[in-house]
Amino acid sequence: MDSDCLSLLPAVCLVLADPKQSPPDDTSLEKLLDWFKELHSQSDGQVLLQHQPCLLEFISSVCMSKTTDPAILSFTLKLTGLLAATTQELHLFDEGGLLVNVFEREAWGVCDLWEDASVRSGWLQGLLNMLKHQQALGFICGNGLIKVILQLQNDRSLFVACLANQLLVHILNFLTSPNMTNGSDVVGSSESSLRPDWVSASSEIMNAVVEALSSEDHPQVLQGLRLLSLVLSKCGEPIISTLWKDVLVPLEVLVNRGSESLIQTLITVLEAALGTPLLSQSEYKVEELLEAMLGDGNRKECFHCAALIVKLEKCPEVLKRKATDIILLPLQCVSTQPQAEKEINVVLKEQLSQKASCISLLMQSLSSLAQLAHTKYLFEDISIHSITSSVLLLLRMCSGHCPTSLLHSNAFTHLIGCCKVQRCGLDTLGALSVYEEILDLRKDIFGVLLDYLQSPDSHATVLKKTFQAVKRWIVCSPFPDLLQFISHDLFPVLEKRMCDLRWEVRDSTLEFITQLTTALNGNSGFTEALHTSGMVSVLLSSLADAEGYVRASAVAAVGEAVTASSHQMVLVSNSKLLDEALVQMMAILSQDTEGFPRRAVVQAFTSWLKGSHLITALELSLSSVLSLGGSDFDWEVKMHTLELAEVLMEKTLTCCPYAVQNFGSSEETRFTQALIKFKNFGLFDLLFNSLFDCDRPVCEKACALLVKLRTLTAETADLDNSLLVLNVCGNRWGDEVQRRYLNKQQAKASVSVTNGVTGSDEGTDCGLHCTKDISLPKILQILDLDDMQRMLTLSSDHVVNSPRSLMEDILSAAQHSEENIVDCY
Amino acid sequence: MKLYCLSGHPTLPCNVLKFKSTTIMLDCGLDTTAALYFLPLPLVHSPRLSKLPGWVSKDGAVNLEKELKECSGRVFVDSQPEFCLPEKELLDLSTIDVILISNYHCMMALPYITEHTGFTGTVYATEPTLQIGRLLMEELVTFMERVPKAQAATCWKNKEIQRLLPGPLKDAVDVWSWRKCYSVQEVNSALSKVQLVGYSQKELFGAVQVTPLSSGYSLGSSNWIIQSHYEKVSYVSGSSLLTTHPQPMEQSSLKNSDVLILTGLTQIPTANPDGMLGEFCSNLAMTIRAGGNVLVPCYSSGVIYDLLECLYQFMDSANLGSTPFYFISPVANSSLEFSQIFAEWLCQNKQSKVYLPEPPFPHAELIQTNKLKHYPSIHGDFSSEFRQPCVVFTGHPSLRFGDVVHFMELWGKSSLNTIIFTEPDFSYLDALAPYQPLAMKCVYCPIDTRLNFHQVSKLLKDIQPLHVVCPEPYTQPPPAQPHRSDLMLELQPPPMAYRRCSVLGLPFRRRYERIHLLPELARSLVPSEIKAGVSVATVSAVLQSKDNKHVLQPVPKPAPVPPSKKRKRVTEEPPEVLNPKPLLSGAVPLEPFLAMLHKNGITEVKVEETADGHILHLQTEDVLIQLEEDATHIICDNNEPLRKPGSELLCG
Repeated sequence: MDSDCLSLLPAVCLVLADPKQSPPDDTSLEKLLDWFKELHSQSDGQVLLQHQPCLLEFISSVCMSKTTDPAILSFTLKLTGLLAATTQELHLFDEGGLLVNVFEREAWGVCDLWEDASVRSGWLQGLLNMLKHQQALGFICGNGLIKVILQLQNDRSLFVACLANQLLVHILNFLTSPNMTNGSDVVGSSESSLRPDWVSASSEIMNAVVEALSSEDHPQVLQGLRLLSLVLSKCGEPIISTLWKDVLVPLEVLVNRGSESLIQTLITVLEAALGTPLLSQSEYKVEELLEAMLGDGNRKECFHCAALIVKLEKCPEVLKRKATDIILLPLQCVSTQPQAEKEINVVLKEQLSQKASCISLLMQSLSSLAQLAHTKYLFEDISIHSITSSVLLLLRMCSGHCPTSLLHSNAFTHLIGCCKVQRCGLDTLGALSVYEEILDLRKDIFGVLLDYLQSPDSHATVLKKTFQAVKRWIVCSPFPDLLQFISHDLFPVLEKRMCDLRWEVRDSTLEFITQLTTALNGNSGFTEALHTSGMVSVLLSSLADAEGYVRASAVAAVGEAVTASSHQMVLVSNSKLLDEALVQMMAILSQDTEGFPRRAVVQAFTSWLKGSHLITALELSLSSVLSLGGSDFDWEVKMHTLELAEVLMEKTLTCCPYAVQNFGSSEETRFTQALIKFKNFGLFDLLFNSLFDCDRPVCEKACALLVKLRTLTAETADLDNSLLVLNVCGNRWGDEVQRRYLNKQQAKASVSVTNGVTGSDEGTDCGLHCTKDISLPKILQILDLDDMQRMLTLSSDHVVNSPRSLMEDILSAAQHSEENIVDCY
Repeated sequence: MKLYCLSGHPTLPCNVLKFKSTTIMLDCGLDTTAALYFLPLPLVHSPRLSKLPGWVSKDGAVNLEKELKECSGRVFVDSQPEFCLPEKELLDLSTIDVILISNYHCMMALPYITEHTGFTGTVYATEPTLQIGRLLMEELVTFMERVPKAQAATCWKNKEIQRLLPGPLKDAVDVWSWRKCYSVQEVNSALSKVQLVGYSQKELFGAVQVTPLSSGYSLGSSNWIIQSHYEKVSYVSGSSLLTTHPQPMEQSSLKNSDVLILTGLTQIPTANPDGMLGEFCSNLAMTIRAGGNVLVPCYSSGVIYDLLECLYQFMDSANLGSTPFYFISPVANSSLEFSQIFAEWLCQNKQSKVYLPEPPFPHAELIQTNKLKHYPSIHGDFSSEFRQPCVVFTGHPSLRFGDVVHFMELWGKSSLNTIIFTEPDFSYLDALAPYQPLAMKCVYCPIDTRLNFHQVSKLLKDIQPLHVVCPEPYTQPPPAQPHRSDLMLELQPPPMAYRRCSVLGLPFRRRYERIHLLPELARSLVPSEIKAGVSVATVSAVLQSKDNKHVLQPVPKPAPVPPSKKRKRVTEEPPEVLNPKPLLSGAVPLEPFLAMLHKNGITEVKVEETADGHILHLQTEDVLIQLEEDATHIICDNNEPLRKPGSELLCG
């Protein structure tokens, strides 16, 4: 393949270098570069440039041309870097001084092209590609390119600036890598072991960082901080500590200034520092700086800062406690009664009196609390009890309930009906379920959650969050009154919500019921409540909902209810449920106009089949499901049907309850019986039809299953083929099998003829005639499943996407454009 | 300018505005909540209601067995329900020039005002307001006349007796002013005085111009602008910003009002109409699925159109498409049909349907497909065609009269059935009181689309009226939720609150009047420019004021003097153009005046600041000069020699 491509390369180079041609689109150029990269990595020391002199010509002509397109120049720069990534190639470039001409913009045919951001980015990427060996670094330092890179660090294009930062970090890293320091001990080595120009290069970069941090120019400070955090996370010693020593003073100034717009970046820097050995050395003041960022909790920015610190993974405990105290302040302040009021934080009070800042502060407070709860953080100064009460009070305030006296009545007005705070608060309340200490608050918690479920004003998204919280609290630790709560309080609300005007609400209610049923699987009381409360009949009526998504969720919920019943053996008394469910589900599978409900039906069957309990009634419907699902228009339904088939195969072939009863019969007979059962279910029809389906994933799955089946049949020696004959007439797959069969016969016959063999048994038996019935093992042989599987694993665009086709595209596009020009005149 | 408040009910207002010698009544709402004190009027004989024991006081001293009945632990008046009328004694109603009606719910007291009070004015209303208002009045009359009561109970109203009655009858106020329902003749006579107006149409009488603006609340509902050349009063009543069937609310024309009278905000500020609609639908679906019937006591026009539209979509999606809806009212047919013909009063979406052509409301389709059936009453076809489970919409929402009484008796005993209250006008607990104990489920989903406090404060921020006048309840949080400071009007300056029988002097300073110059007078003026664009001329004329119009006429010429040569010569001379003598206007600038006094030797001046200006005390001369915005006084104790130079100095 590559040799084909290489033969096209000169022509492609000519087209690309031709200024009259409009350049191919960026994606094509990127793909071409990818190909070069791959070629380069596979070259095993072979130098591409030597074999392809057209490349050097191309590069030189592009750089010298007066009419180069920026996209082509950018491509050339990246390509040059790629090609100069080995010492040998670099020398080849250097021989004619070409490398300098490429990366020295003064030497270009058009200097102005530098103004184009894609060219600057290509230039940086080229250097980054090249920086794989000492000579490359020598080239960069020797030609004073560090200065240019530092300038680009403040480029107006963010991509360029980011790339410049990456390159600088790469250079710094390279300077300290073992192969650069003359083999001496890296960590302990001093810069003295480096070449003098490299020492100056590294100090040039570091000075630039210090200078940027001390600058008055905001964007410059930001870039400096970004580079600093990149260095801290990507570089090793001694770079980190050397740089940190230099930047500490300006960094302290920035931290103490507390500018809001820098907080995020400063925290990123400090977060990166936390992951380095700097943290353990007190003279580097990492912790001190983080603490200074928090202040005394009386600056506007400290809440944002505290929220960020709470999220830090490797954060010193003391600091985290301080940040936690600060971030919980807004929550406590809003939900505190005046008598319990400590010292009023003036800044906080002001922030809470304005709607926007009040909401954002409370959300920060709540989400940080949720974050802490995820790690089951141990609160010290404040009890989790009082925190949970605050969250509950806040949620009550959001729905318009208010305690008799409040510290911040303004905040209360902002909160009424505020969905954002409600969602966030409910998430937090759910997350708090990990704390066993607050189990005694459960009554209050469920009270608030029920209020939210009942409130006509609850937004659909709020209800969804409420359901999640309810589930977490129910699941966390079952309590004595759980069933009472579920059947007396929860179910009536759910019943009403399933009649909600908004389909989203109906949908999330059904999802909730499904999740609850799954979570409480095995709880006989729950299953009984589900049946006796009339919920099941409501679920069944939801199967006829007008909205497809809701029907799908209803199918899942009914499916889960049936599973739960079968586990509890209540199904015997509730066979009506299963019958009705089956009738409705089959109706959905055969008639529903939307894909989601049909997919859900097949999935429900799969999960029933997977279950450990036998549901005999299902067996009657299985063949219908397989045939309906296999011939569905929706490829996902077909996929799910194949998954169902897979489960059926596994269950039947491995263990009970679907295993064929073995009245003392041998393994082989059992296998044959199983295959007969599959045949009766229509499983083979499904698999063979799917094998020739128009959707590749379906074919792939069917092929995999057939391969499995083939292996099994091959392993079973005395399979009774006569029992496993399939009719191959009148369907698509049958025709295909017949065609292949005939081809094989023909081939065999012609081989026999040429070999002079006449009339072997096989030849005369089958002749070259069409045959109606073929045995399963035979069919599996006829179909070249391995080859089919190999072809199917290739992505559908594997032909179109090859480098060869890419190059042909570039060439033909050029040709066409020439033709068009001719046409025009 | 004065505002007489004849009703304290915030959503059933009746106010009278006296403005530039015209007397304008703004709405005349009828408070029907008094009906809740009465026993229901059953359409079919009810053994339960007919066997109720009469009320006798515990000591047996007061026996009102005939008038009062005990039912479900409460005492009700057994008589035709009565209503609380707007105050009639506060001013002479015959002096009213015009009545402006803002929507059909706010005109139900019209016959009480226009008939038998000597009213001779005109009533202005839009066409849908008139037509649907007529339907509602006729319905009310039919409800009452269908179940006549032989006697009217009056003894219980006696102050001494009322005091002894159990609550809540004991606490009912103004019971003597309560009146029985009017008759069809009175309705017709009252409505004959209505003159129809369209939105933005201006009606002039005297010096005042009135303009109805769309208020977005109901078909043909309007707010009004009442303005003269220099004053503007806006009357905002029952408005809505929600997207329901009526034309949207016109807001921009309300800008720059001197006074805005704000009434008819939502009665249930904590209930969001969307949430309530959802609640309505899910409760309805739950009941029907369980095999029960749903009873919706409602008015025969208004929210019912939106409910039917919502259900039209919902029932199919909830897989309840086969459930029948029954709309039972003497005016059901007309109400459904009227709603379809007032296309130009509907929202844009519905208007555009008319051009397709399609009926604007989907209830037409419901009727066509037999899903919605309407009947004038439970008697007749309804009883034979009635199928259960079903949804019945019928009146009256007070549950005291109308066909709803029958359904309460019929369905109240089964817990499968549900009554869903959607009208916010009545307390549902009071409405249900005579039906207790009740097995049927009861759901309260008041749907009130009128402005809520949040919307109104945004609106007021936009239109920036100088002063706001509103009913007293709007100036404080609801009594049941004293902490909800968001459920009241907080304005600067604070709104002027009124209650029943208040008379408010509106904070108006009439500063200007428009005066017309007759052409011949204008011709004689000799303007001289005093600064760029401003010319001044002296005028000598006679001011004539008539019908609020002011005209400057030339001074009648003196009797002709016998001609003489000398005189003639004089008149032939071109008129002398003189710079006009400086005229006094505006306030006296303090500093220059002090400088002037100083220049004229008056040095000892003590200046004192007052609310309206300054008082200057010329100590040596013992003279006081009061400088106010619109007046200057020199008080010098009859010292004429001093006063004159003083006034000359003042005049500069």
